Amino acid sequence: MASSKALKGRIRSVTNTRKITRTMELVATSKLKRAQDRVIAARPYADALRSVIADLVTPELAEQFPLLRQPLPPAKGGPARAVLILLTSNRGLAGGFNANLIKEARRRITALEAEGYTVELIGVGKKGVGYFKYVGRTFASERPDIGDRPTAEHAGSLVETLVEEFAAGTIGVVELVQSQFISVMDSPPATVRILPVAAPAQGTREGIRHDYILSPDPATLLEKVLPLYVRNMVYRGLVETVAAEQAARRTAMKNATDNAGDIIDALKRTYNRQRQAQITQEIAELVGGAAALQG
Amino acid sequence: MKMRVTVISPEAAVFDGEADAVTAPAFDGQIGILANHAPLMTVLGDGTLVIRAGGSSRRFHVNGGFLQVVQNTVRVLAEQVEAVSDAA
Repeated sequence: MASSKALKGRIRSVTNTRKITRTMELVATSKLKRAQDRVIAARPYADALRSVIADLVTPELAEQFPLLRQPLPPAKGGPARAVLILLTSNRGLAGGFNANLIKEARRRITALEAEGYTVELIGVGKKGVGYFKYVGRTFASERPDIGDRPTAEHAGSLVETLVEEFAAGTIGVVELVQSQFISVMDSPPATVRILPVAAPAQGTREGIRHDYILSPDPATLLEKVLPLYVRNMVYRGLVETVAAEQAARRTAMKNATDNAGDIIDALKRTYNRQRQAQITQEIAELVGGAAALQG
Repeated sequence: MKMRVTVISPEAAVFDGEADAVTAPAFDGQIGILANHAPLMTVLGDGTLVIRAGGSSRRFHVNGGFLQVVQNTVRVLAEQVEAVSDAA
């Protein structure tokens, strides 16, 4: 059994750890709130963009647009480069958050390589970059600078060159591994195909196709709008992943705080029992000593 | 006669309300939109967007994005939006 001095030291150390985890929980809660607001604020733009594209895209137009066209698979002579953008966080202590994203990315890499693609990685967040470097993969680019407050410009800078290369036919597919922020309790990792663009189904709103005055012509309009749509998908991925990270960290830190409480309780019980035993023993020795003197 | 106007940036909805008239910087020059405009879609350039409601007006500096008019609703989706103080 540990000495009472050692027990005291452990109680103090666990108490200090609990202070830290509780603070981290509170910080994550407040960051989560802000991240959630940003996810919600980004929705109207995405919805509007989707409905506009749905109104614009016709099967004839889809044929002539490089961004909408499905390139041939590598086995049939199509471009063999695939780009996977992996979103993870810069910091750890968020439970299984980064591990889940990395697992999803590995699954996608295996699947894409089985189709004959050569996968290039773009890493956002140090955790994913760190892991894949450890297993010996190189990154086409790393973006640890994006962090907790992604902006539309960040999203733009991530995909700008990819859109051009895809349109030029040198990239076959671009995918984004992100967390889907469904709710605070539910944010599973997911892979979203960024390019080729899967055009949203048309006529979803009331089934009416409006007779638009289009200026400039629909093809030019679509050419302007599609890159915006691509950027927006990435922006949404970024903000959702940040929100999911904070939610995961809050849960992990809450569990850690609760566990620390349990450990402190158990240690205190052991410590008190030991102290009591020692006192009892001292009294017994005193009584025994006095009895011996009188005897 | 009024119409609904929404101005949305990728990060947030910037304006949502009723208006009498909208002047927007389209890619090929200013366009004016009044209530019950025919459905329209156009690409925005760089310039000032003016939303007039009653006697007052709101100004935004917009750059890039596009504008859609449908069913008496004007939607401005701008890549960059910045509110300009109501000096007008």
